[in-house]
Formats: sequence, structure tokens, C-alpha cells
Amino acid sequence: MLGDPRRAQEVFQATLREATLLCANGETPSDPFWFFRDARWRCLETSEHGLRAEDVELQKHDLPPSAPAQIERLDVNQLATWISAAPEPQRTALALFYLDEFNHREILSLAELRIGELSRLLADGRRQLQAWLDATLPQEEAK
Amino acid sequence: MKSVRLSRRQRLLASCAPIREELINDRSMRAAVFCARASDEFANQQSFDRAVATLVRSVPVPPEIGEWFSSENLVPRSKWKWKMAQNPAVLAVAIALAVIAGVFVLQFLEHRHDFPGAEAARKLLMVAASTRSVLLDPVRTDAGALGDLFFMKHQLEHYDVAPEFADFRTLGCRVFDDEERHRVAQIWVIEKGMQFFLFPAERNAKTGAALEFSGWRYVEQEGWTGVVQERNGVCFMAALHGREKDLAPYVSKTKE
Repeated sequence: MLGDPRRAQEVFQATLREATLLCANGETPSDPFWFFRDARWRCLETSEHGLRAEDVELQKHDLPPSAPAQIERLDVNQLATWISAAPEPQRTALALFYLDEFNHREILSLAELRIGELSRLLADGRRQLQAWLDATLPQEEAK
Repeated sequence: MKSVRLSRRQRLLASCAPIREELINDRSMRAAVFCARASDEFANQQSFDRAVATLVRSVPVPPEIGEWFSSENLVPRSKWKWKMAQNPAVLAVAIALAVIAGVFVLQFLEHRHDFPGAEAARKLLMVAASTRSVLLDPVRTDAGALGDLFFMKHQLEHYDVAPEFADFRTLGCRVFDDEERHRVAQIWVIEKGMQFFLFPAERNAKTGAALEFSGWRYVEQEGWTGVVQERNGVCFMAALHGREKDLAPYVSKTKE
């Protein structure tokens, strides 16, 4: 969400502190996804203050069967930077989806999206990431 | 390149298909994935997603954060189960199953002490409840003496009153056919307004042999209680308006 481990850790600790305070006051959140919702809003708030990627129309490429080989060559920090640079709510959708811990209904609830929006955001995200992979790690190189 | 025809809704769902199969816990999503699985486009999407998720999993988690989640699931699942239980369809099925289970338990409890001929005995308890003394031929003798009468007059062999009840004085008796045209002997005695019934034991449908059982067995129906014994293919039942404890003293010495 942030592409910056230090700021991510600060968000985590702030969320944890908030949860501890609520529990101490006997106001334990009943929402099982409270932690993720709170962390998400803190991430959005934090990213408002930092440098923001310019909103540009990204290229989109179809997914080829060789895409996994390209992704394998990708550095995890590059991927984190790419996802954190995506505009909201695409960034939230991609981050929650590739965390691989939620089903689609949970993502819809957490990201406050409708199924059509989530579907479009993910489909566009994949094709944009593929275009970026093709530019960064061309397929000939990947082979 | 293989492609499949999907509805708009299925296309939307397939695009959001979870990477791990365990997260597909929704019927519409399962159906969409099942249909989309045949297409190359979906196969590419899945391998793309898996590769990205694998890379995401390799993100190093700082040890001070990692230890918070070392023994916890990242996402609690209990809420979803509760949500499922709140689904009207799931509730309806659960209630229906509970009712069916309740009926089975009730049936089991009612019939757990059943024995061959219990059903016939229950029907005769209903006869006992509706019988008036005027329906019987007046006979004043010991109940044990009526076995000879039934044999001589009605050709009913082994229609003998059990020895435990043989000394009771009778008010009247009769012989009649029940619904299944079995010959039934009914005796009314002075003791506590008790009635005795003698009727054929239940028989094996294939061999025709009488289904035997040992000792005294209790049966209840609409406030009446009977205690039944089988001997020589004939059942003897002593019945009274009351409960098992009212009959127990009469058979306590011989009950198994």
C-alpha cells in the first residue's frame, strides 16, 4: 500500500495501539476486519502526505503464458513500488487481492467496492502490470 | 486459443477469482471459475496471479511485526460461518433437520421398549378405554378358569390367563375379532377395574412362526398401561387405567 517498509511499520504500530486502547476501554471491535480497515485508512492518510505518483494513462498488454517467468525475475521492491503507485482504489484492490488472504466478498467489503468495479480494477491492473513488465523485463530477456 | 462463453456476471467474478482454492467459498464464484477454467485467458490470469502472489509472499516481514502473527490466522474466519448460519436458506434447512431429528428421537424413545405385538397391544389398550361392562357377557369366576371356556366354546387354544393374575375374580368376558381378524379374548376383573386381553402373538411374515419374547413388557396408550407376556404363540395383557407403577406389584416377582 505504501511501498515504504518504514511507513508501513508506523501504520501497523498505530493500528495496534488503537486496538489496544479500544480493548482497554472495553470497546473491542466486533468487526473481524477492523484491523485491516483501520490500517487501510491510515495508509491512505499517510500516502496523502508523501510524494504521489502522477496520474497517467498506463499502457495495457494482454497476459501471455510467459508472464510468470517475467514476474519471477522481478524484484519484490519493484512490485511493491508499482502497486503503491497505483491510484486509489486500484491500489487497495491489488494490495488486498495479492495478499491472497481474502475472498472476493471480503475484498469488496474492505475496499468498499462493487463487484464490477473490483473486476475492472483487477483486470486493468494485471494488464498494466504486464505492459510495465514488457517494458522493464522484455519477454526475449525473460527467456 | 480456447475461449468459453461466460455471462457478464461470470466474467466479472472470474476476473476476481481468488488465487487459492480455499478462498472460493461462494457458490456463484465456484460456478464462474468452473466455467472459466476451460479458457486459455483464465489459465493465463491464474498463472499470472499465482506468480505475483508468490512474489508478494516473499516480502520480508520485520521480526517485531512477524511475532504478532506467529500463532494467529491473518484473517479470522468465524464471522463468515456465523454469516452463513444467518442465511435464511441455511436456517430453514437447519430447522427442518432439527425437526426431523426431533421426530426420530421421539419415535426412538417411544419405541425403544417395543416388542413383537406392541402395536396390537396399544390398539387393545384403546379398546379397553372405550369398553363398557354391558358389552361383556357376565361371568363370575376366577380368571384362570376362563382358559377352558375359551377353548371349549371358541376353540381358542392356549388362551390362558397368566398365573400371576389367575386368581382374580371376573365380572365378564367376551371374544371378538380385531381389525386384522385376529381372535381376541377380553376379560374384565373386579381388581382395580383391570382388563385382561388374550390375542395371537405377532408372526414372522415369511415363516409364520410366532415371534417370541421373554418376560413382561410394558406398553402405554392414552393413560392406560398394559403389561404383556407371550406364551405358546399367544400374548396375555393385563391393562388398567394408570401407570406402570400400578401394575408393577403384580408382576414384580417374575419380571425380567
